[in-house]
Parts: sequence; structure tokens; C-alpha cells
Amino acid sequence: MMIGPTAGHAPLSGGPVQATQGQVRGTIGHRGIIARGLSKRFGRLLAVDGIDLDFEPGAVIGFLGHNGAGKTTTMRMLCGVLPPSSGTISVGGHDLRTHSKAAARVVGYLPEGSPLYPELRVHEYLMFRARLYGIGQPAPAISSAMERCGLTDAADRIIGHLSKGFRQRVGLAAAILHDPKVLVLDEPTSGLDPLQVIEVRSLIHDLAEDRTIMLSTHVLTEVEAICDRVVLMARGRVVAEGDLPSLRAQMGEAEASLESMFVEFTARAFSVGGSRA
Amino acid sequence: MRTTLAIARREYRSFFLVPSGYLVGALFLLANGIIFLSSVFLPGQPATLRAVFGFDVMVLLLLCPAVTMRSICEERRLGTFELLSASPAGSLSLVVGKFTAAFASLATILIPTLVLVVLLELYGRPDPGEIFAGYLGLLLVGSMYLAGGLLASTIAGSQTIAYLLAVFFFILVSLSRTAVPAWIGPDAWETVSIFDPFIRMEDFTIGLIDTSSIVFFVVVTGWFLLAAVAVIETERRS
Repeated sequence: MMIGPTAGHAPLSGGPVQATQGQVRGTIGHRGIIARGLSKRFGRLLAVDGIDLDFEPGAVIGFLGHNGAGKTTTMRMLCGVLPPSSGTISVGGHDLRTHSKAAARVVGYLPEGSPLYPELRVHEYLMFRARLYGIGQPAPAISSAMERCGLTDAADRIIGHLSKGFRQRVGLAAAILHDPKVLVLDEPTSGLDPLQVIEVRSLIHDLAEDRTIMLSTHVLTEVEAICDRVVLMARGRVVAEGDLPSLRAQMGEAEASLESMFVEFTARAFSVGGSRA
Repeated sequence: MRTTLAIARREYRSFFLVPSGYLVGALFLLANGIIFLSSVFLPGQPATLRAVFGFDVMVLLLLCPAVTMRSICEERRLGTFELLSASPAGSLSLVVGKFTAAFASLATILIPTLVLVVLLELYGRPDPGEIFAGYLGLLLVGSMYLAGGLLASTIAGSQTIAYLLAVFFFILVSLSRTAVPAWIGPDAWETVSIFDPFIRMEDFTIGLIDTSSIVFFVVVTGWFLLAAVAVIETERRS
């Protein structure tokens, strides 16, 4: 287990590291998420500072951190939306730099706020996404995704007229439409009512069977409820990573709550000091 | 190809799902109707649409950027650009898909004006070749406007800026016909004028189909589209 900045990009203990340091080949042994020495700089701001990630299929990973910690930037890089300033990424067994299209086909992405086309109807939007991902038989895939996300009765509704919760579901349905091996969900339960939150958690749990699911959230109880592992980011670095018992062990408090761990690890990162620029 | 078509279909459908699509179509038809009734559909006038085509070159200058101003700007504003970036669609697919949809929208807007051709056929004997050349010219010059508008939508931060950027660029090109010859002299202008799209369009309105003009419009359109691809690629890599 690693605590603090990932100095030297040492391998994580969470799973077998099959890539050499700082290098991910075109195809990697496991089909989860592997990142090595991942950094992103926006001008003078170092938003993500040389992090390493290694998550095998079947795991639900909770991505935690204060606002501006670098969670969304990291997720965008893992989905190919943002190119890293340095470092390498493999998702679903494909190197994102050399096999970006193949990687895009095995990743499902739900950005924060679930952006959609408000003028389209739900089934029209999902048909568009199915065509975009080249799904051979879109009708069964759309039907299945809508059923899983509780959208069957809303298929003909105009997206712009939907509540925030339903829009979130449409975004989630679109993300799982092409049966991706890796799901990256940026605050998937944001804006949902408690019943919908339970449904989405249940859906994530079901989907996790043979997939790697990475989700960011500010709801710590959510992490405790559905995540197998936790990655805690602060100031662009991974400051703690592992399952809850191991995080408690790192903190030296067997009964520590996730909230107290969040505060403690974040405070440690800030007390280390140093400029990110 | 599949991703390009998927983007084109979605964009075309969205264009006619919002009022602005119908507004652009209605304004174009209205402008055509006015010029047709005031300049063509008069006793003793020749059965030709030259006046309409000549007028449409300027009307399209104002309308085509309105078709494309949403293209990339709106994707950025909605946040859907992020979803497209995460999808297997590359920058080329995105730009070509958007342009294909805009071109199809332009063709759809032009279709109702065929009623003017029908009226000419009923009351006179127009030259079908001249009318065909005129419509071909409108599609070519329209493609150039659309591609320029698409590039503006890629560069600009808002739809309004994208529209103004494209319109003012083409107005400047149009005005250069009167200003530039005085600066550089008639001999030099004769050489430079081969790059003037409006002079080339005049040939189409009188029924002349010049291969070099077709190549010119295709090349300029292609250049705008490639520039848009380059802008998106640069943005994605930074």
C-alpha cells in the first residue's frame, strides 16, 4: 500500500503490475485500468502530479478528493478526453495513446452533470450513441440499457423535459450501451432522490461483476456502500489507496470513519506543502 | 464512416428540431419570394432566375453561418463535446459529420425554392441548364460558407461570435472586389481575381459551369474543414 505522493511511480500493491515503469504496451495483461506516472499541467498549474493507478476488472473504485484535487482531470485523461502531459494509460487492455479508438470502444463515460442533447427524445439519443459506437444491433442494446436504468417508460420523452434524475439515468444508459469493460462515472448519483440513488448503486453493483468501475463522489456513505477500493486524491496526488480496512490500518485507527480518514489524509497532503505550479 | 454518418444524422435531425432551423428556411424562402416577385415575375421579363441566384449568393452569406454556428459551440456549451471526445469518433469524423449535416440542411432549405422554377415553367420557357447551373453554384458557394462557418464555430467561444466571425469574413471578401483593384491596379487584380468566389459564382448564375470553379469551391471548402479538424486536434492534444 502506498501513501503520499507516488514518488518514482512505484507499482501499487493493489494488483499485478504488468507494464514496465513509465511504459504501457499496446495490449496489457489485464483489461482494467492501468496508469503510470500520469500528469496533467494546465499552464502553470499541475492539476495531476505523476499518479499511478492499477485496477483489475470486477472492482468498483471510489475516487475521492477535495474540490480541485484532480479527480475529474484524471477521469478525463482515462477516457481519452484530455491527453496527459506525461505518463501512460491502458484501459480495457488498450494503450490509450497508440490504440485510442479501440480504447474508446471499451470505455463508458458519464461526465459530471450528464451532458445530453435536450431536443432529442431518449430513444433517439440512445440510437445516436449506439451508431456512434458502431453497435451492430442497436435495438436490443438500447432496450436492455433502458430497462437496466429504469427508462423504458421514458423512451419517447424529450430529454430537455426530463428531471435531473432521469437525465442522469439517460447518461448512465448511454454509458453502458456498448457494454464497456471499463466504466468511468463522474458523480453518478448527483441530483438523484434517495430511491434513485439506491437503484443506481444496485445497478453499479450488478455491472461490476466483470467490469472495472471508477466513480467519483462527494458522498462518503456511497463509497462505503458500493466501492471495493478507495483512491483518495489531494493536490493532484494519490494520498491514500486501498480497501477500507487497509486505509484504517494506515491511519492507525481501527474504527476510523471514512470521513475522518478523508480529513486526515487530505490534511496530511496539505501539511506537506509545496506548490503545485 | 459509421461514426461520421451517426454524427451527421443527429446533427441534421437536431437542426430541424429547434425553431432556428425553420426560421432560417422560412427567411430564405421569403427573401427568394420577394426578389422573384419584384425582379422576375413581371410581364415582359425573361424567364430566368439569374436575379434570384445573384441575390441568393448574399442571402446565403447571412444564412449559412446561422446553420453552422451551433455545430461545435453548442457541443462545448452543453458538455457533449466531452462525450464525443471520449467516443471512437475522431476529429475528422466529427467535422465531416457536422459539415454533411449542414450541407443536407442547406439542400433542404433550397428545395422549397423549386416552386419558383415551377412558376417559371408555367408562365414561360426557362433554360433548364441555366437553372441547374444556378442551383449547383448555390450549393457550391453555400458549401464554402458552411465550411467557413464551421471553422468559425470551432474557433469561437459562443454561437454569436461564431456567426459574426463567419459573416464578417465573407463580407470582407465580398467588399475586396471593389477595394482591392483600386489598390493593386487592374492588371494585378486580373490575376488575384481568380480567387474571388463571387466572380466565379456569377458564371453559374448565367448558366456557365466551369470545372475550375467547381474545383475552386471544393478546395476552399476542404481547406476550411481541414483547418477546423486541425483546431480540434490541437485542442485535444493540449
